[in-house]
Amino acid sequence: MSNVLIKMDNIKKYYRSGSDTVSALQEITLQIGRGESAAVMGASGSGKSTLLSIVGGLNRPSGGKILIDDLDLYALPGERLADFRREYIGFVFQQFQLIPYLTALENVLLPLTTAGYSRPEKYERALNALERVSMTGRKNHLPNQLSGGEQERVAIARAIVNEPPLVLADEPTGSLDSRTAGEIMELFQDLGESGLTILMVTHNPENAAYMQRLITMQDGLVTDDSKKPEPLASGRIALAGNAGGVR
Amino acid sequence: MNLYSIALRNIWRKKTRALLITSGLIVGIATAVALFLTVESMRLALGDQIDEFGSNIVIVPRAEGMDISYGGAHVSRASIDLKQLELSDLEAIKEIPDFNSINIISPKMVAAVNVNGKEALLVGIEPNREFIMKPWYTLAAQSGLNGGEGIRGLAMADLKPEGIIAGAEAAAALELQAGSQITINGQNFVVQGILNPLGSAEDGLFFANLAAVQTLLGRPGEISMVEISAYCNACPVEELAAQISAVLPNGEVTALRQAALIREETIDKFSAFSILLSAVALTIAALLVFTTMMAAVHERTREIGIFRALGFRKSHIIRIFFIEAGLVGLLGGGAGYLAGNLVASLAGTYLTGSAVPATWQPELFYQALLLSTTVALIASAFPAGRAAGLNPAEALRFI
Repeated sequence: MSNVLIKMDNIKKYYRSGSDTVSALQEITLQIGRGESAAVMGASGSGKSTLLSIVGGLNRPSGGKILIDDLDLYALPGERLADFRREYIGFVFQQFQLIPYLTALENVLLPLTTAGYSRPEKYERALNALERVSMTGRKNHLPNQLSGGEQERVAIARAIVNEPPLVLADEPTGSLDSRTAGEIMELFQDLGESGLTILMVTHNPENAAYMQRLITMQDGLVTDDSKKPEPLASGRIALAGNAGGVR
Repeated sequence: MNLYSIALRNIWRKKTRALLITSGLIVGIATAVALFLTVESMRLALGDQIDEFGSNIVIVPRAEGMDISYGGAHVSRASIDLKQLELSDLEAIKEIPDFNSINIISPKMVAAVNVNGKEALLVGIEPNREFIMKPWYTLAAQSGLNGGEGIRGLAMADLKPEGIIAGAEAAAALELQAGSQITINGQNFVVQGILNPLGSAEDGLFFANLAAVQTLLGRPGEISMVEISAYCNACPVEELAAQISAVLPNGEVTALRQAALIREETIDKFSAFSILLSAVALTIAALLVFTTMMAAVHERTREIGIFRALGFRKSHIIRIFFIEAGLVGLLGGGAGYLAGNLVASLAGTYLTGSAVPATWQPELFYQALLLSTTVALIASAFPAGRAAGLNPAEALRFI
């Protein structure tokens, strides 16, 4: 098994806007190691969310190639890309994106719906995931009955319920207060320590500090990929140094 | 948690929308079911009415041999070897398998007679049969009425042995009035009633009791023709004619297809109209399902994006929408079946003036379910395809 989980080679993304062509990503070449956690920072419009959606198999690049676990993502036939997302990737979206008419437990069960597990197995996995984010006691609550932090925890449980090797998070604490955001980031840190590969888009340098690696983007280009996170003021130390990341 | 529970939850969450789609399907299916049942009842009622009005089988004495022409003169076969048809022969008709399909048997004796010194045609009838078979015969005048009393059609059935009913032209030609005394072949009769003009050959006829005419002509028991009114809902008129022919060797039985054809044409027009109306109602229901589903796709764009990001295939998204449409279709079909039956049984008879009430047809239930579900699925196909084709990155506002 290769030590590199994500390999991006010369990724480009253009959008057409009338007669104009807007370049969202320009020749991005990156590698993310297995078990590595990386924050992608940059101003709005720098291309970080586009990068995340391409890595997540949601947005076909205009050029270049992306390999995840040595699989050429966008060369997968037919609906295999959907299967790949289910098996390899856990998404934590901005604004949580829980399904409002499903309970916390049912939201976590969603990725298992089409996975072919037996009913008891699905529930066991979902309950385990909720337990990892300390939400077992609120499993039967609808999203609107949960606080922002609790919704975020449910969203994280949903992302990890399939035990994917890669979790992609898009501004996961964007709508949380700083204390709750800190708790959520510690949760991400715990997940990272358990061996999950995490790629997180964030505006917040404090959140980035929880990640092992910081990738800075501007105008569709990676402008910096060398910074190490600073120690946190809270006393808990963000993972520092080379933790197996491949540059 | 599976695709069915997601669809069910969504229906429950958007009850008003589901109710709207269901209502559209209920109206469409109810219209189709009600029209079908009403037309079916009309088919029976109209068939009976058409069959009752007038004859659809005629029996005349059988003539053997061939037509002969000699010296430019035509001699009909009937005139050279005519079999005799007796009233008693008609008893054999009771033995035919489909006797229950026969409504009225009206024997007749037709003869040229001398009425008040003028040649005329006299028809011997059994009034209670003849005038029921031909309800369009109405009296313009009848004898024995007191001042202020109206003409009662039923009085025709009370034709006395010496009574005569005159056609409108016959009465006019002989200047007869109700109550006039006339002489037929030297025997006295009373004009009991005068018919309203019919615009047909019957206007020139005189009607009397069959037995009286037979006695007058000295041919007791003999008849010259029989008209039969049969219900053709149960069996084809040709089949009935063949059965009668088999038991009446002296009679030549002819099935009159005209009545059956009129009946079929009339009912076919009603059926075509009801199919058209049902199709319009179902098309409107389908459009309602389509627009509501399209709105749902738009409203659920982000949700669909989440499903796709979580590994749902396009086919899973389509299945969710189809399950929703199918469930609503089943509900609409079931309720539409009930509503259609109710409308047909309560209002159908009143609205159409049909004598036969619409009856509940349980076997239609499954057809209603199938039709409703099919309409819902077809109308949802494009919205479901549109939902499945959504770009998940766009749906989640990554772009």
